Amino acid sequence: MDALGHLLSGFAAALSVHYLLYAFAGCMLGTLIGLLPGLGPAAGTAILIPLTFSLDATGAIIMLCAIYYGAMYGGTITSVLINVPGEAASVVTCIDGHQMARQGRAGSALGIAAIGSFVGGTLATVALVVVAMPLASLALKFGPAEFFALMVAGLCLVVGLAGKNILAALLMTVIGLLFAMIGVDPVRGAPRFTFGVEELFDGIGFVPVVMGLFGVAELLLAAEKRQARMIDAELKSWLPSRQECRDSAGAIGRGTVVGFVLGLIPGVGAIVPTFMAYVLEKRLSKTPERFGQGAIEGVASAETANNAYANASMVPLLALGIPSSPTIAVLMGAFIINGITPGPFLFAEQPKLVWTVIASFFVGNVLLLILNLPLVGLWAKLLKIPFSFMCAGVLIFCVIGAYGLKQSLFDVWVMLGFGIIGYLLRKLDFPVAPAILALILGPMMEKSLRTTLEISGGSFAIFLDRPVALALLAVPVIVVGFLLFKPRSLDKLRESDVD
Amino acid sequence: MRRGRLIATGAMLAFCLFAIWQSLLLPLMDRLGPGPGFFPFWLALIGALLAVALLITTFRDATGPDDDMAVLPHGEGGRRSIVIVVFLMIATAIMDVVGFRLTMLAFNAALVVALGERRWWVIALFAIAGSYGVYHVFTTWLDVLLPEGRLGF
Repeated sequence: MDALGHLLSGFAAALSVHYLLYAFAGCMLGTLIGLLPGLGPAAGTAILIPLTFSLDATGAIIMLCAIYYGAMYGGTITSVLINVPGEAASVVTCIDGHQMARQGRAGSALGIAAIGSFVGGTLATVALVVVAMPLASLALKFGPAEFFALMVAGLCLVVGLAGKNILAALLMTVIGLLFAMIGVDPVRGAPRFTFGVEELFDGIGFVPVVMGLFGVAELLLAAEKRQARMIDAELKSWLPSRQECRDSAGAIGRGTVVGFVLGLIPGVGAIVPTFMAYVLEKRLSKTPERFGQGAIEGVASAETANNAYANASMVPLLALGIPSSPTIAVLMGAFIINGITPGPFLFAEQPKLVWTVIASFFVGNVLLLILNLPLVGLWAKLLKIPFSFMCAGVLIFCVIGAYGLKQSLFDVWVMLGFGIIGYLLRKLDFPVAPAILALILGPMMEKSLRTTLEISGGSFAIFLDRPVALALLAVPVIVVGFLLFKPRSLDKLRESDVD
Repeated sequence: MRRGRLIATGAMLAFCLFAIWQSLLLPLMDRLGPGPGFFPFWLALIGALLAVALLITTFRDATGPDDDMAVLPHGEGGRRSIVIVVFLMIATAIMDVVGFRLTMLAFNAALVVALGERRWWVIALFAIAGSYGVYHVFTTWLDVLLPEGRLGF
């Protein structure tokens, strides 16, 4: 069956009542959690994992993907109404979105964000359908050496492109990989670093670590900050005017392309495409002075690029098994919890699941558009929930999430421990995202490397005989080498660009 | 912050050295190829080298004030963070004995009061919904097992 046939059968499944309900619930809950200041899509998706414990694998993934998209839109609402980005990618939306809210055009800003997100997300999913299957077919020819090299390359791109301090990011990656070594050795079955503790035989749980590093840590940081005040936004009209739609059309088209292309590269992060799309619009505009003063094109470009990026970042996950951001790593963890390993074999072994999930991306985008435009007023009211209730509510989910998977209070302690560690690391400016990606990729990396070395009789020369593996290993060497030894003038140039 | 980064990097260096020692207790190679200690040994070694490099660069970097107060919880916001951690520790410690419902009832009520809520009826409503209500939803509808407690509550 070709991609279109698979997609149509995916739609047939995704449009069944129970999967529609999961997508609907995911969009609602995601938007709700995205509204909570300080909690981004990674934390939001991780916190809501326990809701999917009783669902079948397809339903769980559909709901978590919908939560992801919903959380992204929730972050947009806080950016526009209270000038607090719910996640890093929404920083750019704050620039013009909040200015529009101050001018009484909050409805237009949120409306164009919803429309742009819909267009960007939908077109990027179409591109995903076209790109993912051929890429997965190509990756099926990979052996363990190529997979090891691919994972090293993906991890180093994330480290190199996401981190300000390359040494700190590399160190965090190694620490994450070392934590992944705890438990029973995946090849020989020997216990490692367990110290006789029964709970460690299965390894450190991914869910408690993510809940700690993202959920608890971000909550502790949010508790420290003074709460932002919502402006009394005019939400009489939630649809942008015809002129505003016309002004934004080009920005939405260009934002889609920028977001999709950059979403295919692991480690770029959502802020880069949003920022690039925004700068591109400003450069192309005949009146660049309006940017920063409430230009609707600024909101449209950033939000479109953000959602196109979110959908495109599913390509490396589904086709290659490489998570390109912390949120995608959380989703990969959800795949693994449900007994599914993302990667090229997914399309061959689980075609029904993968195409239903892809079809649900389209459904989710439509649901978000239908829900968000008329419900803008309701979401705005929810922003007034006091921090005390929000904090207690999130912690209830964290406790259930950490406990629920293995019914172990040990995992709740793990979550709490990683929460404190995550809080301190963020304050000390250590990036935690590489550690999360390493934790999830660690066992697969080790297995691939050891299988490769078993084939070669322990010789690393096997990588020299495999040109694809060698080329993939060259990527991290070049990226890390460049970032470690780049001229200081480049840093200065980048800082002045951001300013 | 510089001192904080030095301490954190030092802790990571100690962790890597500990991992090297533990890896050496496992076979690095066996007759089939790399053993269980192989991957963690090399990782820990690379980690230790990175930590030393980071220690040196952080030590040399004298820019910016050494503001350690910014790292540790401080002020009113810091008090809120500490309250959250302490309450969560107490809840985790007693949950096995007291059970999810009573623990979260007390946890929710105590936390929202500590974070500034004063309307008793709102506190009561939230505490009950966040404990007995959540327990019912997760155990009955979502099939998630939660601690019953030795007292049977």
